[in-house]
Amino acid sequence: MGKILESLPLTVVAGIVLTVIMVFATEAIYDSQMSAPEKAVSDMMNNM
Amino acid sequence: MTHEFGLFLIRYLHVISGVMWIGLLWYFNFVQIPSMPKIPDEQKPAIGKVIAPEALFWFRWGAMFTVIFGLLLAMMNGYLVDALTLKAPNIGFGMWLGIIMWFNVWFVIWPNQKIALGIVEAEADAKPAAARKAMLFSRTNTMLSIPMLASMISVQNPIM
Repeated sequence: MGKILESLPLTVVAGIVLTVIMVFATEAIYDSQMSAPEKAVSDMMNNM
Repeated sequence: MTHEFGLFLIRYLHVISGVMWIGLLWYFNFVQIPSMPKIPDEQKPAIGKVIAPEALFWFRWGAMFTVIFGLLLAMMNGYLVDALTLKAPNIGFGMWLGIIMWFNVWFVIWPNQKIALGIVEAEADAKPAAARKAMLFSRTNTMLSIPMLASMISVQNPIM
């Protein structure tokens, strides 16, 4: 981790990677909070 | 004062404080730290004794007021608990990243910068170690600022 943080470009790349992980984690949490009917509606909306 | 105007005012102050904080964080990481090796030794005190202490003052208080106004805004909007428990993860991740960054500023970066810049008494060999620790945690905050800002924006403009 120290090696990454010593390099400014690698720090920025690590920040972008964390952003992508956060976006997928956010989606996963929202999916886990949905009831079955809500999930069915959400899937249908996404496929439209 | 209406509730709507209160929300506007607190959000405005939150954004202004945040620009002050993250702007100076990026100044340190994108400008000051990479430029230090290029500055002649006799000119370095201008940075270490004048510019850096002044910038650190606005930096740490920018962090403090960003978090205070951010928590107040979440409370006024009624999502403070949902965000902090990640029931509202889009803003929750950003809030937690901001709180971690605030902690780093006040409890790691600032105490170590005080040693590195000679603001407090310390042994000479403690200064390089303190400067390195402050730099690494400042870089950590630069890394965390990227997802934190994405999270803040995603509340109004969902990413997916």
